[in-house]
Amino acid sequence: MVIDLLTKRYPGMRAWLMQRLTAFAMAAYSIMLLVRIIILQPAVYEEWLSFFQPIWFRIASWLFWICLSVHAWLGVRDVFKDYVPDYDIRVVLLKLLATLLWAYIAWASWLFLVR
Amino acid sequence: MKFSIYRYNPDVDKKPYMQDYDIALGDGDQMLLDALIRIKDLDDSLSLRKSCREGVCGSDSMNINGKNGLACITKLSELQEPVVLRPMPGLPVIRDLVVDMTQFFEHYNSVKPYLVNNDPVPENERLQSPEDRAKLDGLYECILCGACTTSCPSFWWNPETFVGPAGLMQAYRFMVDSRDQALDERLENLEEPDRLYRCHNIMNCVEVCPKKLNPNAAIAKIKDLKFEQAREHKNNVKKRIEIKAV
Repeated sequence: MVIDLLTKRYPGMRAWLMQRLTAFAMAAYSIMLLVRIIILQPAVYEEWLSFFQPIWFRIASWLFWICLSVHAWLGVRDVFKDYVPDYDIRVVLLKLLATLLWAYIAWASWLFLVR
Repeated sequence: MKFSIYRYNPDVDKKPYMQDYDIALGDGDQMLLDALIRIKDLDDSLSLRKSCREGVCGSDSMNINGKNGLACITKLSELQEPVVLRPMPGLPVIRDLVVDMTQFFEHYNSVKPYLVNNDPVPENERLQSPEDRAKLDGLYECILCGACTTSCPSFWWNPETFVGPAGLMQAYRFMVDSRDQALDERLENLEEPDRLYRCHNIMNCVEVCPKKLNPNAAIAKIKDLKFEQAREHKNNVKKRIEIKAV
């Protein structure tokens, strides 16, 4: 049902709901991360390395990054819409932001899924 | 009592300026509007709107010491001197404290602030249960003074597209009216991303409303209704597909 709301039929609802869903997912990941740190207590490099070794945790971390990127895109897009009244400058800034976020996603993908 | 008042007459002044006034109040002067009328007696070039002088018409809405409010129900005893008076922010100034509220009312009109009911007109009135009537409390009392909308940063930055708290609260007022039959159309009307969803719960509207209303709560309820509508729409589509299949 929620997926239906994220279609183009509901452009207003889509962004609003997406922001909340990604926030919820990030909050869930953060709690899980905290619990995992408390349980495993990684201290040195090798322990941190094994901390990020399980594939399920890598995928979760990658999904967290995707959520963060979407959340950041929606939030910063709103800020630009409010504070950058000049359309041309806003488009340039949004393109820069998109490039930056895609670069981060590529980096996170290499880090969590490939490496 | 000392006042510093925004003055701007586009026919004469190149740019706005603040004019200081120091006046002696009369015994009966209790509200800010009383003082403004006294100032106007001394300087009749000062322009402001006023009418009912008891917080019902919403004409004398202005920015008082940095916060929007109605001059007629603002007590002089509670104001810090010098009292700084400016027109409501975010709207074009016509002259001094008088702003052009065309855009405000265009947004208000855009939500169709009237009952839509296609049933035959009844002989008497359209009845409502006390429970249904109670749903309008806290909504119908809005006097459209514009204090909330013009203190909303989302409206300042997106005045052409964002309906604003006053308009949205009136949209909700008719959505929950048991006699209204246009809920779906009203919700669709607010789907365009900037009309409703530019509200970021800044809450200035709640802070300044002279009638102590809560436009922010109404906006949140519209979002809930939109969620419900989308769910309903999906169920209806499913039903249509099932009927076709049968």
